[in-house]
Amino acid sequence: MVARDGEARVVAVVARPLPYYTIELEVGAEYAAVEPGQFVMIETRHGLEPYLRRAFSVHDVALGDSGTRIELLGKIVGRGTAALAAARPGERLALLGPLGRPFSPPAAGPLALVAGGVGSAPLLLDLRRALARGVRVDLFYGGRSAADLPRFDDFRALVETAGGEAIATTEDGSAGRRGLVTEPLAERLARGDYRALHACGPMGLLARLAELAAAHGVAAEGALETEMGCGFGACLGCAVPHVSGRYALCCKEGPVFRLDEVRW
Amino acid sequence: MSPPPALAVRLGPLELPNPILTASGTFGYGLEFAHLARLERLGGLVTKGLSREPLAGNPPPRIAETRGGVLNSIGLQNIGIESFLADVLPGLTDLPGKVIVNLFGYELDDYPRLAERVEPCAGVAAVELNVSCPNVKRGGIEFGHDPEVLERLVAAVRGATSKPVIVKLSPNVARPWELGEAAKAGGADILSAINTLLGMSIDPWTRRPRLHTGRGGLSGPAIRPVAVRVVYDVARRVGLPVIGIGGIETVDDVVEFLLAGASAVQVGTALFRDPRTAERLVDGLAERLAALGLERVGDLVGAVRPWEEA
Repeated sequence: MVARDGEARVVAVVARPLPYYTIELEVGAEYAAVEPGQFVMIETRHGLEPYLRRAFSVHDVALGDSGTRIELLGKIVGRGTAALAAARPGERLALLGPLGRPFSPPAAGPLALVAGGVGSAPLLLDLRRALARGVRVDLFYGGRSAADLPRFDDFRALVETAGGEAIATTEDGSAGRRGLVTEPLAERLARGDYRALHACGPMGLLARLAELAAAHGVAAEGALETEMGCGFGACLGCAVPHVSGRYALCCKEGPVFRLDEVRW
Repeated sequence: MSPPPALAVRLGPLELPNPILTASGTFGYGLEFAHLARLERLGGLVTKGLSREPLAGNPPPRIAETRGGVLNSIGLQNIGIESFLADVLPGLTDLPGKVIVNLFGYELDDYPRLAERVEPCAGVAAVELNVSCPNVKRGGIEFGHDPEVLERLVAAVRGATSKPVIVKLSPNVARPWELGEAAKAGGADILSAINTLLGMSIDPWTRRPRLHTGRGGLSGPAIRPVAVRVVYDVARRVGLPVIGIGGIETVDDVVEFLLAGASAVQVGTALFRDPRTAERLVDGLAERLAALGLERVGDLVGAVRPWEEA
């Protein structure tokens, strides 16, 4: 599918709760075919700032009478994410996408989904696709504290309807199990519970997951978060160290990489 | 009803269908934009800088946004001249706009060798020299910061090609026109100005530079007044046609550079946020000329009005 540079109309911004939020956008029909892990470059500027568009995974997609809508899940961390959270319904924003390489459809389950904080963004679509294919999915969702697990209850409801388990961890113990999300995951991997693993989160988490997946022989993929200038391969800003020794572009060869493709 | 204004421009030996080009390093090799922009509307495109061998580039992070600008340290990652000529150039030959290859090296001799290599290629209309590279034989001083070295470099390229030679000037010197004069003495046909401004940014929380290499090149609207000043000085003092570059994103910006003395412009960082910026400016410039009752782009070139009339 070829990315298109068009315009999105803001439908609503919902606190999930702040600093996390979702923004719902009315978009072109090409997004009906968006795949889990793909992303968009969206204009967030109010006046001159910020200058560049920002990269967001597509969090969810809905087809209705009023056309195609997508949702993005964000966290207010800087000027771009704050400007987008302040967008008003009806506002029109330039939108380029869908872009990038998606998660592979899981050939066989069970599938472990691993989210670190707002890294859960691309995993909702991935979860929906896996469930639609009848693949068993468990979710491991980690954050610093209870406030850093945006939409955990929504994820859990979906996972549980299909007989899966949703496990939360927090570093301060304010929700779920105290500790890192890799701890309960490592126990299950040691039991041989999973055939595939899909993840999104900070680079440190993905690096640890790469080790775990390799140790247990599980096919693992991760959506990487890097600084991006353009999103379509022109600026060469989003370099990812590749095991071959070269740099891969996150926007073109990713954002989803096999975890054993990346030099961590 | 007068005929629509003519956008075609001539810069010494180089003729362009219109004065809007895309800047090196911001337009890939052209094909990255094929499905996002109408390449056939461009006056020309300047490729990503090409070296004799492919280069892997710098470790990340390579790019950081600052107020009104972008700081980058890509490290001149490129596919190498041979791969460009074999795999990319054939896909660019049907365009009305001109393909200009940007060349760089780490030894003086790399430049004439690259120019020699593209000399027989009909699809290449001109070469632009990126001389903001460290000269390994001179302790890493940039070729473009030393008038004597620059003159020799340009003369060597002049001897290797009959194509128009454009020299891209660095703004990171006290008197950019002296480098422009050196390039002219070496046989350059055209000057382009400016390359990025050297900059740095540090994250106050992590205490790390926002770029892995620490320093990087600043581009975008933040540098536009610097670029206009350099174009103004160089155009008046050197007497070669100038291509203006630096933070251009609106028709007003284009006109500003023309008034300062540029005969054409390159659009750069704005393409990252809107891949159609260049074609929008082509249409916008035609409308502006018509609104001003002007017939040619050249009527604006260098037409800034000083406060004290001579």
